[in-house]
Amino acid sequence: MWVQRLWFKFRTLFLRRRIAQRLDDEIQFHLEQQIAENIAAGVSRDEAGYAARRLFGNVSWVKEEVRVMWGWTLWETIFRELRYAARTLRKSPGFAATAFLTLAMGIGASTAVFTVVDSVLLKPLAFHESGRLVACWESVRFLGDDATGPNPRHVEVWRQRATAFSGLTYLRNAAMGLTLGAEHPRLTSAVVTTPNLFEILQVHALQGRTFVPEDGVQGHDNVAVLTYPLWQDLFHGDPGAVGATIRLGDVSRQVVGVLPAKFHFPSGSALRSFRRGDQSVSVASDPTVFIPAALDITKFPWNGNYGNWITLGRLNPGVTLAQASAQLNTIQAQILGDPSWPADRRAGTLGAWVQPMQEAVVGGSRTALWLLMASVLSLMLIACLNLANAQLGRALTRSRESAVRAALGAAKWRLMWSVLAENLLLAALGGAAGILLAKTALDLFMRDTPVGLPRLSEIHLNLNVLLFSTLLTFGASLVSALLPALRLLATDPQASLQQSSSRSFGSRHGNRLRRWLIGMQVAGCTALLLVTGLFSKSLLHLLAEDKGFDTAEVAVAEVRLTPQSYGEDQSRVNFDDAVLTNLRAIPGVEAAAMVSAMPLGGESWVEFVQRVDKPEQESPLINFRWVSPGYFETTRQRLVAGRFFEERDRNLSNVVLSEGEAKALWGNDDPLGGQVKIEGRIFTVIGVVADSRNTSLKTPPARMAYVHYKDRPPFPTYFVVRAPNAGGLVSAMRQAIWKYDPEVTIARVKTLGAQLTDSLATERFETLVLLSFGAAALLLAMLGIYSVLSYSVVTRKQEIGVRMALGATRAKVYALIFAEAGTPVFAGVITGLVASLLASRAIQNLLYGTRAVDPPVILIVTGLFLLSAVAAAFLPAQRAASVEPMEALRSE
Amino acid sequence: MEGLIRGKTVGEKTQRYQNRIEILQGTLDLLILQTLQWGPQHGYGISVAIRNRSGELLQVDTGSLYPALHRLEKQKWIKAEWRISENKQRAKFYQLTAAGKKQLTRERSKWSQLSDAIAGVLQPEE
Repeated sequence: MWVQRLWFKFRTLFLRRRIAQRLDDEIQFHLEQQIAENIAAGVSRDEAGYAARRLFGNVSWVKEEVRVMWGWTLWETIFRELRYAARTLRKSPGFAATAFLTLAMGIGASTAVFTVVDSVLLKPLAFHESGRLVACWESVRFLGDDATGPNPRHVEVWRQRATAFSGLTYLRNAAMGLTLGAEHPRLTSAVVTTPNLFEILQVHALQGRTFVPEDGVQGHDNVAVLTYPLWQDLFHGDPGAVGATIRLGDVSRQVVGVLPAKFHFPSGSALRSFRRGDQSVSVASDPTVFIPAALDITKFPWNGNYGNWITLGRLNPGVTLAQASAQLNTIQAQILGDPSWPADRRAGTLGAWVQPMQEAVVGGSRTALWLLMASVLSLMLIACLNLANAQLGRALTRSRESAVRAALGAAKWRLMWSVLAENLLLAALGGAAGILLAKTALDLFMRDTPVGLPRLSEIHLNLNVLLFSTLLTFGASLVSALLPALRLLATDPQASLQQSSSRSFGSRHGNRLRRWLIGMQVAGCTALLLVTGLFSKSLLHLLAEDKGFDTAEVAVAEVRLTPQSYGEDQSRVNFDDAVLTNLRAIPGVEAAAMVSAMPLGGESWVEFVQRVDKPEQESPLINFRWVSPGYFETTRQRLVAGRFFEERDRNLSNVVLSEGEAKALWGNDDPLGGQVKIEGRIFTVIGVVADSRNTSLKTPPARMAYVHYKDRPPFPTYFVVRAPNAGGLVSAMRQAIWKYDPEVTIARVKTLGAQLTDSLATERFETLVLLSFGAAALLLAMLGIYSVLSYSVVTRKQEIGVRMALGATRAKVYALIFAEAGTPVFAGVITGLVASLLASRAIQNLLYGTRAVDPPVILIVTGLFLLSAVAAAFLPAQRAASVEPMEALRSE
Repeated sequence: MEGLIRGKTVGEKTQRYQNRIEILQGTLDLLILQTLQWGPQHGYGISVAIRNRSGELLQVDTGSLYPALHRLEKQKWIKAEWRISENKQRAKFYQLTAAGKKQLTRERSKWSQLSDAIAGVLQPEE
């Protein structure tokens, strides 16, 4: 109904020219009839016209009355005020431009951050009834009770006995080389899953079909389902793709279906199969191809294979998370009691729990995103307060104008509306520009970001975001108009008109209000700066951390060998040796070596390490790597004792331990020559290498064990080369590898320096964003202080003149002006510090080597802020001190 | 707002209209609806009809008539149409709607109650 009414109003607004014309016609007709009647009564033509008009009365007044009837006068008033506001703003382009830019930036930044928050955290996963989708985890005592991806063998038992779920699936992320046949394979993120995944997600194929149970049978499993982007990329949207053959990880698979465009599945770094507290993983891209898992479940051990598979399920309607968890734990107890269970049977050694899938996917990024949201909103508030401040100043200088208007009978609401109209206009323009800015910024951010954020592909401006921006726009105009408007309400037109022009603005009340604004701005700014300071310190700390190896002049190539072509141990050794020879032949290469994990790429392979002579010693999981001789020399890791690997180790079973691991096992005894047991095999310790932050800069140096590469598994292979021109060797390194086998997948070639940068991309990005917010806030706060003080100096000119005439020195005048800003600034700084200290507990997890309450950071931030405040106050103070007493007094 | 008494200097009024009566507040709607009961009519026609049928006693002020017409139109009691008038000019003709007829009945009964009541008050006591 109201829509209809609104539509009517809008129509009349736009048709009003025509409607007004009609009214003119109607009145004209009336007059003509009257004239005709008068003439008929015998009056002369001229006299008839006068008489008719006299009788009719005031034509404009009649029209006005009719227009009131039409009910657009309110709208007309609004438009008139907006036009008037536009004219006033054109007259003060400096203010208008500053306000517009401030609002555009503020709304743009807020919109961009909110888009991310909304798309990642708030919006439900894009699946049917996604609230019922869950991730299931096991907690295993000997793995430290951390959440770990369940052993598929246990999941099979859950599937048979649990009634809480309408379906359970387990899946694994894999990186595989993909090719249509002719070209070199390229690395693709794949998901290997039981065939019922799409049934659980309730996703239907766009083309062809998803998996059927038969796809999970060995021998029938050579099929693949493509995501929409991969379909577009490989087949350019050709429906003939269904039925085509692709080579994935050296296996030919038939494409049976294509998923819809709106299908988004979390990447391997968002939905991880293991969750250790200090775990670090490298950023993975979203999966683009799904293949069925055809497993012989009886080959899985009863107690093992944890942390490799992810289990997703759909709860039956009405089943709660707690009920599902309880049911799984009951089944876990049954597994413990089963005669085939090989290990510790004590209750509690094997648990399980259920988590909403959305939380499993986005939980890790929640704190950082809300922190960014809070920061950008406080920046927005500071910007609005600044605008309010500026508007208040303008309202005070215009108080005579409004007093005149009030005296002439303008309604108070009309006056307030004219203030609001100006802000509304600015905010609407700023808001529109801000939304465009946000869109551009997000497009740039999304194009190629190394930042690890779940659901990245789902980020886009949507209706929610537009609603948010609109609300923000109105909120901003209200906040910045409220104070000037209230001020207007309190204006007594008579008093305003009576006051002499130069003194009238400096009312105590107005200045007190503006000092409050400054105080609030300072508080918000201090809090923002403090958080920025903490993040900057944290990032600097990470960058300055002793890595234990040298990243300069080193390039690394990641190669994926498939079990099909490189199943034999000897074939892998042949490959490694040939490629190393080719790499060493590249001009400029000083050293080349092979390692089984990406430096700074997170944890990849962990094992228990036990001393053979002390098997009872606790042995936590430590990082395990296969390396070729020359690896430590290439990365320049320091030898602490013994020796590095050499050619002769090819026929021996030797191990090099990191210093930390050697200390943990042998204490102060000499580890060299000692023996350790890893996965049932015995290794002799031949060397101890200095601790290094091999896995991540964000965690303490990992305890490591390095063994010779001769019997490495067919998992990712990394070749590192040291050369002064490492950055320019990308294509030479690719050729050196493809020279031996053109069909291997080269995932990436990059310098270790780039890898270092990428590994801190999220922290770097967070810090950069916060730094820009902090700088903007500081600038705004300085502007605020400056404008309040300059204003105050202008209005207190006479007072200052009197003071100086009575003997106040220039120093005293400086002190006077500084003191005026002092109270709000100090009060604001203290409020801001207290507020940020209360809030900073929440962000402790995001900081490295920095405590949430960090005295040096507090000191630096406070110092920086006070210095800026003094700088902002200096000019007005100087102006005050240069007042000529005689001149000021005479100007009365 | 109909029937609003508006200031006019006495000299402006022609002798002819001096013994006219201002229309009572609230009765203009009734008069308009009643006039349209006899058929579609334009604004000028309505004012003439009211004047004639009241024996030249009731003069409808245009400043009240046109707003009232537009308001009644908005309330959907009357509808308007541009037609060619008897002297071949385009004019806006108003016409009673079904809702307008009902409203007229209501207004009439209200009026008769009011006039009875006033008559009762004015009746000399016996």
